[in-house]
Amino acid sequence: MVGRHRLFVRRRDGRIEVRLNDLGRSVAREAFGHVVAAERDPEHEWHTLLNAPIDPGRDQDDPLSILNRQNEISTNAELAVVTLNEEFLNDAEAWAWLATLQVALRSTAQAHGLMSDEKLAACDEELLNYIHTLQQLLFELADCF
Amino acid sequence: MGAVKPLRRTTTDTDVLTEEAVETQRPWNVVVWDDPVTPMSVVVVIFKRIFGYSNNKATQLMMTVHHEGRAIVWSGQRERCESYCVKLQIAGLQSTIEQDQ
Repeated sequence: MVGRHRLFVRRRDGRIEVRLNDLGRSVAREAFGHVVAAERDPEHEWHTLLNAPIDPGRDQDDPLSILNRQNEISTNAELAVVTLNEEFLNDAEAWAWLATLQVALRSTAQAHGLMSDEKLAACDEELLNYIHTLQQLLFELADCF
Repeated sequence: MGAVKPLRRTTTDTDVLTEEAVETQRPWNVVVWDDPVTPMSVVVVIFKRIFGYSNNKATQLMMTVHHEGRAIVWSGQRERCESYCVKLQIAGLQSTIEQDQ
């Protein structure tokens, strides 16, 4: 996935060119798929992570806010899935990619209890490589905004 | 004696109402919490996109999150705080709201 060239390039017409190879797209596909599944399936290990409290001082958050969050996360993830093989993304599609990759990155870290630098450094190599790959995708995509 | 009770009750009710009014006037804050995996540039992009902040302001807030573990990124009415908090969560950041101390 990682070469000498940039993975995402903002073109003069405003579109973002996706230069991921098959491996890069498969990493993105896995991340997007997990987010879609987590929103649909209450048993998914990320489901509760995607439903974090808004106001921890209250017993229950506003149901409309919760519904809005679920809808938006799902919409972003589904838009990312259907544009997975596109060569160019418009701004809304690129934002959906960024938001969904970021949700996947933080959920991965949270699900594995990697919410400190020490724990992150001590995690197994395969997981660390996966996290680094998501970070690189995000880092390069953020550079287009 | 009969006339005293309602007067006391009225005074108490007024006091309670006044305290509640003061309570709700305290602004609410949107707080973003640090995590060890989110790239700094992603946080800046999200702040710029959601709040319309300049690059300098977004970077300054990101650095506060990074160094202090959290930052208040917006303050105001509770409803707007809640809406911004949800937008930040949708973008994958850890965010909550709290009333100003």
